[in-house]
Amino acid sequence: MARLAGLLVLSFLGLALFYPLSRILVLGVGEGFAKALANPYYWERYLWSLEYGLLSAFFTLSLALPLAFLFRRRFPLREAFLALSTLPFVLPTPVVALGFMALLGPRGVLGVDLYGTRTLLFLAAVFYNLGLALRILLPVAMRLEGPMRAARVLGATPFRAFLRVGLPLLLPALASAGLLVFLYAFSAFGVPLLLGGPRYATLEVEVYTLLAYRLAFPEASALMLLEILTLGLAVLLYLRFRPYPLPPGELLPASWAWTAGLAAFFLLLFAPLGALFLQADPRALASAWASEDFTPLSLALGNSLRFTLLALLLALPLGVAYAVAARGSRLLDLLGLFPLMVSPVAVGLGYLLAYPAWRGSLPLLLAAYALLAYPLLARALLPALRSLSPNLLQAARVLGATPLRAFLRVEIPLVFPALQSGLALALAAILGEFGATLVLWRPEWTTLTLAIYERLGRPGEAPFKEALALAALLALLSGLLFYLLDRGRGRWG
Amino acid sequence: MLRLLAVLVFLALGWAQEITVLTHSSFSLDKGLIARFERETGLKLRFLKGGDAGETLNRAILTKGAPIADVIYGFDNTFLSRALEADILLPYRSPEIQNLKATLLLDPSFRALPVDYGWVSLNYDRAHFKDRSLPKAPADLARPEYARLLVVQNPATSSPGLAFLMATVARFGEDGYLDFWAKLRDGGVRVAKGWSEAYYTHFTLYKGDRPLVVSYTTSPAAEVYYSEGKYQEPPTGNLFPELAFFQVEFVGILKGTNNLEGAKKVVDWLLSKPVQENIPTEMWMYPARRDARLPEVFRFAPEPVGSVRLDPKVMAQNRERWIAEWTQVVLQGRSPEAVRRGRR
Repeated sequence: MARLAGLLVLSFLGLALFYPLSRILVLGVGEGFAKALANPYYWERYLWSLEYGLLSAFFTLSLALPLAFLFRRRFPLREAFLALSTLPFVLPTPVVALGFMALLGPRGVLGVDLYGTRTLLFLAAVFYNLGLALRILLPVAMRLEGPMRAARVLGATPFRAFLRVGLPLLLPALASAGLLVFLYAFSAFGVPLLLGGPRYATLEVEVYTLLAYRLAFPEASALMLLEILTLGLAVLLYLRFRPYPLPPGELLPASWAWTAGLAAFFLLLFAPLGALFLQADPRALASAWASEDFTPLSLALGNSLRFTLLALLLALPLGVAYAVAARGSRLLDLLGLFPLMVSPVAVGLGYLLAYPAWRGSLPLLLAAYALLAYPLLARALLPALRSLSPNLLQAARVLGATPLRAFLRVEIPLVFPALQSGLALALAAILGEFGATLVLWRPEWTTLTLAIYERLGRPGEAPFKEALALAALLALLSGLLFYLLDRGRGRWG
Repeated sequence: MLRLLAVLVFLALGWAQEITVLTHSSFSLDKGLIARFERETGLKLRFLKGGDAGETLNRAILTKGAPIADVIYGFDNTFLSRALEADILLPYRSPEIQNLKATLLLDPSFRALPVDYGWVSLNYDRAHFKDRSLPKAPADLARPEYARLLVVQNPATSSPGLAFLMATVARFGEDGYLDFWAKLRDGGVRVAKGWSEAYYTHFTLYKGDRPLVVSYTTSPAAEVYYSEGKYQEPPTGNLFPELAFFQVEFVGILKGTNNLEGAKKVVDWLLSKPVQENIPTEMWMYPARRDARLPEVFRFAPEPVGSVRLDPKVMAQNRERWIAEWTQVVLQGRSPEAVRRGRR
């Protein structure tokens, strides 16, 4: 059965990822490099993307490290704060972008206009990735107490103990977290597109612009290739870092003061979301519902729900099949992670190149959604499947169940909570998908995310208010659906 | 769950028996005219807005395999070659062609039919320049005291922006236009993403801080028309007819339409006298028909003398390079010499 599942995943990956990517490769190397890479303008885009990735990682880590040390303590509401810290990661990019516009944009609550500055872009990157970095650093930080105490017993000052014992032990986790943040920021699309203006376009935004406005396939392919190579290098590095095996540590005592301090910090961190809901006007929602100037909300909402449902129907069997197949195969485990490395815009571009006859047809869009979503589902499912005792399955087989039956009746019920969490992640990813949708879109398919983008493209107070209201709605919708499926279990990250 | 699916499938199949017209986002026609056409022909019209004129055309090209519309409206002469090379249009010799101005018939294969035309032109805010002197010649714009008053559109994302860039190429030449733009950049010209951002947020007439804007020769007339009696005379004026850029907008039938007869009727209708006479006050372009009368308010929109026209072939060959060079100089701050050295 694992072999069959492996075959299914591999054939999907072949058609939906490797073949389209090979078309980018051929065009990018063949024609694009000569055209694009002779142009210093594109190199500047590349350097800026690198800078954005690296500095975002640096800023995020410098905030996540002290935060991880704070979370080593037991204080009231600690778990709630931890759950809260990962919330931004499931928020759609237009929601985050509009949150920052509501706070620090031209009509922002604070009255400071940072729109189109680097500062705003870095703030958004930190907001997005802080929880992710914290989740990686925290388990290691919690195990440092033993070794560091040993160092102090041997006569080291606390500072020296941290410098010579704590920090070296933390390094692998710091590197992993930093590389992940780099991956996400370097290939960021939605945030720089909406907040960066033409000056701070990342490679990903540039590729989209080349396609949408100039139809320059060779140049777009060359830039995309450059991006994929860089991302691939970062992933290879990422795979090298393994945490040192340390005995689990215990939470240190702390008081309500800790809770109060962290509450203040999270209030500050979530100020963009607060500003979004503060500025979102329910009346704008009403005017957006049957808008004549833009895609009416009724249509966009229907599209979003329809596409999410259809794509989940595709992503669910794929994710389960992948988890089953990857349980026993390290190679497949790595291969199946591939979709997480390529950007949504690359997927869209690859589809346009690989299947010209299918341009503008729904299966392409759904395949892209499923491709981007199934690894998330599988990542949540895999640890649960791996932790199952093989005895259970053998017992079912001895009692006469076929392999499929044993899987469906014994294993699936046991991993059902993990499956639900995975589904919740996949759903959040599809609902907020932006890059691939923008490349593969047809006007009548405008989703909620695109309806926001469309309104932002037009100046004036009224469209901006509608965009804010739609973003607030999207935030509520993805938050609600996520909670309903996941119930705050958080078996991911 | 099943019921929900059934409803969704039904919704997906909902729209049929319609003629879809893909347009740029400034498209607009009188509702009564549309209703009358639908009544008389039994066709249902659906207008899809695809964004800026260039973006709209690209969308049609990218969805060539499964066309998103039956008719496309509004790509202009700067993009004509791209539309023809992409082979997305069907030839159609509409009986209305004989009524169109002959100089507008730029496509001898009759795949792209001219539907209206106009000029991209510099506008100035009269109130701001009441006691101040206007620039005397196009080259004066590059002086710091005027550059910091001007807002233009990014030619990579906006068709009036591209038209204005081409006008500067025609005016200052391949060697000079980059120097002109470098001076504008140093003087503090502002670049907006599209026309409506430039006009409605940066132009002083709408509480912006730039009294000079790249717009259309008809914009002053439109201001009078929409002011509901507030203005007897236009609050804005046109500047430098020699920098005005001639634009023709086209309509065409998209390959792969499953209602060719209906699409032909729509094209004929768009070229008919009632629609042509409606275009000026809806989209502020001049009608392509010879016998269409202009509305009275167009006395504030005289056709510019000595405006710039470029050969579509020249535009097709150089368009991408001009945009790239402009981006390097204006957005990236590179020197014109370095960009020119990079041409080889």
